Amino acid sequence: MLKMVVGIKWVPNTTSVNIDPKTGTLIREGIPSVVNPHDLEAVEMALRLKDEYGGKVTVITMSPPSAIAGLEHVLGMGADKAILVSDRAFAGADTLATSYVLAKVIDRLDYDLIIFGQETIDSSTAHVGAQVASWLDLPYVYYVTHAELRGGKLVVRRSLENAHETYELDLPALISVAMHSLNPRRVKVSNKLRVKLENPVKTWSNKLLGLDPECIGLRGSPTALSKIEMVPKVPRKNEIFRGDAREAAKWLLEKLRGEGLLELG
Amino acid sequence: MKEVGYKFDVIVVGAGPAGSAAAYTLAKKGFKVLLVERGRMPGTKNVFGGRVYADPLRDVFDGFDDSAPIHRWVTKERISMVSGEAMTSFEFHTRKKTSFTTYLTELSCWMAKRVEEAGGTVLTEITVDELVVENGRVTGIRVGDEKVSSEVVIDAEGINRLLLERAGLVPKLELRHAGLGVKEVIKLSKKEIEDLFGLEEGEGLAWLMMGEVTGGLPGGAFLYTNRDSVSLGLVVMLGEAVKGVREHISRYVEALRLHPLLERYFRNGRIMEYSAHLVPEYTWPSLPHRLYADGLLVAGDAAGLLLNLGYNFRGVDYAAYSGYLAAKAVEKAHEMGGMTSENLSVYERLLEESFIMKQLRKFRNASKMRENGRLYSTYPEVLNSVMDQLFHSPYEVPKIMEAFKRARKGRIGWLDLIRDLLGMVRSI
Repeated sequence: MLKMVVGIKWVPNTTSVNIDPKTGTLIREGIPSVVNPHDLEAVEMALRLKDEYGGKVTVITMSPPSAIAGLEHVLGMGADKAILVSDRAFAGADTLATSYVLAKVIDRLDYDLIIFGQETIDSSTAHVGAQVASWLDLPYVYYVTHAELRGGKLVVRRSLENAHETYELDLPALISVAMHSLNPRRVKVSNKLRVKLENPVKTWSNKLLGLDPECIGLRGSPTALSKIEMVPKVPRKNEIFRGDAREAAKWLLEKLRGEGLLELG
Repeated sequence: MKEVGYKFDVIVVGAGPAGSAAAYTLAKKGFKVLLVERGRMPGTKNVFGGRVYADPLRDVFDGFDDSAPIHRWVTKERISMVSGEAMTSFEFHTRKKTSFTTYLTELSCWMAKRVEEAGGTVLTEITVDELVVENGRVTGIRVGDEKVSSEVVIDAEGINRLLLERAGLVPKLELRHAGLGVKEVIKLSKKEIEDLFGLEEGEGLAWLMMGEVTGGLPGGAFLYTNRDSVSLGLVVMLGEAVKGVREHISRYVEALRLHPLLERYFRNGRIMEYSAHLVPEYTWPSLPHRLYADGLLVAGDAAGLLLNLGYNFRGVDYAAYSGYLAAKAVEKAHEMGGMTSENLSVYERLLEESFIMKQLRKFRNASKMRENGRLYSTYPEVLNSVMDQLFHSPYEVPKIMEAFKRARKGRIGWLDLIRDLLGMVRSI
């Protein structure tokens, strides 16, 4: 019976992230959010371990309340419990303040194994897993593609470009799952019904956690973005050539040469 | 197949206008209702042109005017006949508020939220694999290897009615029974829209175009103004389009956007969304299937309950109202003692008595008229040729009949013309 905690992030579903040039922060308005896809792989790994050995999976996220939809999704996949950690006091957190809050949340839970995704699609720092391990003083392995229990220890496979390493970890431990290594399962109607009718997402605020305001949110975030430079947008000319492919190729070559982009020998 | 531990009075498949209206009406009456939707949010799998008539929705949803996501009230109607680089338009402008533009995603989410507020359970990301039929009676739905049971299922799955097909309740959809709608949503500012189309704040335009706007495919084009975007697209008859289509259908919308007389409207625009969807072309009275069975009712597009006049479409409001009537039928069947086919047949009577069936019967020949190819080429050409002669003759202006005779020559004979006119008068 493995007690697992999985950390996920609710992120804007876009590959073209818009940044406010004045504040240097993400513009989130109008962009629908999703569970960070790499985090779904962390949930999948937890559920596979649960399928294999039995156990309990608790999923946590620190986010505004809109993330409830994401937590309902992972409950639909089969997680047992979901906790939304949400408070205005947590807003504006960098990875340090975020990992601090998450570590304090996990501290209140009973756990053997903590699982994170490799990184998020909106900021790609890959900090939070390592930092939580550090706050909780746990062994940490990342880029994990496979995990199993052997003689009370967790044996994990870590995949690098040119080698596969195998580690044996004493529990409790923290691992992060290599992206694109697992295919997250579909939601089940019975799980989704249970979420709606019996097991709604729980919300924990700082009233419950009582964390020092100096350590959380913007004030607890030492990261200072000194400058942000936008990559200038290249105006598109949107010229379309219609007709014969041979003519089109000639036309394109002429255009490219005219722009000084191509020199023909 | 495993039975889940929950049982419902009613399961509604599809959180579009028909499904949500049905679920809302029943949840309000205290029925235990489950509404399932395969999209990530309600509305992410459906598409419409852009206009909804408000009154049928007011009949269904309490407090509609207080919170529904209305973008602009359509106060301006424009119908244009296009040929070559010319266009003759007919415009009607009023201040009345009868229909409005919106995003269907927003409207669908709004409706599904009403369902939850009324006590219904709404699940997204759930794809129903089949209707469970036991001893000739629909007893629930199968999702993956799980079954959810209910007294009755209301099928509002939309035009691509795979569940009904799999259950053997309807024949496979034929090409000629469907149209294909494709559209782009183009972002403009509020002010740009109001300036470009001569609108005041909150006012909207519905613009139908016929002729050389569909790349030669029988059908029509449309433009609707949203709050800060326009929906531009076309609907082509699928049976004909399959024969005549030359390139990817998205290119036809692109050609429409780049049309020399239209391109000016979108010059500062940014394409936000592209979508395509089937549209019912032949509506219910002409389709050989019933809308009720033991434990089952069918509503909305799945039932073919959409009115397409060629110059106007009534889809969302008809769908919602049919869902509402399906809910009424369930109530009545409940009072009569159960969800048998006999008790549920009251649904067809309710439809017959409502505006929906009266209208569908009245206009049952409208789709035949739209099959007439002359509508898309000959008539726009003749009309534009007349206008051209009247306004672009530098010295000698012809009499109108003279211009008409010249325009008609070689394009259409008197006999066909009279036949078409009579046909049009009779059908619409």
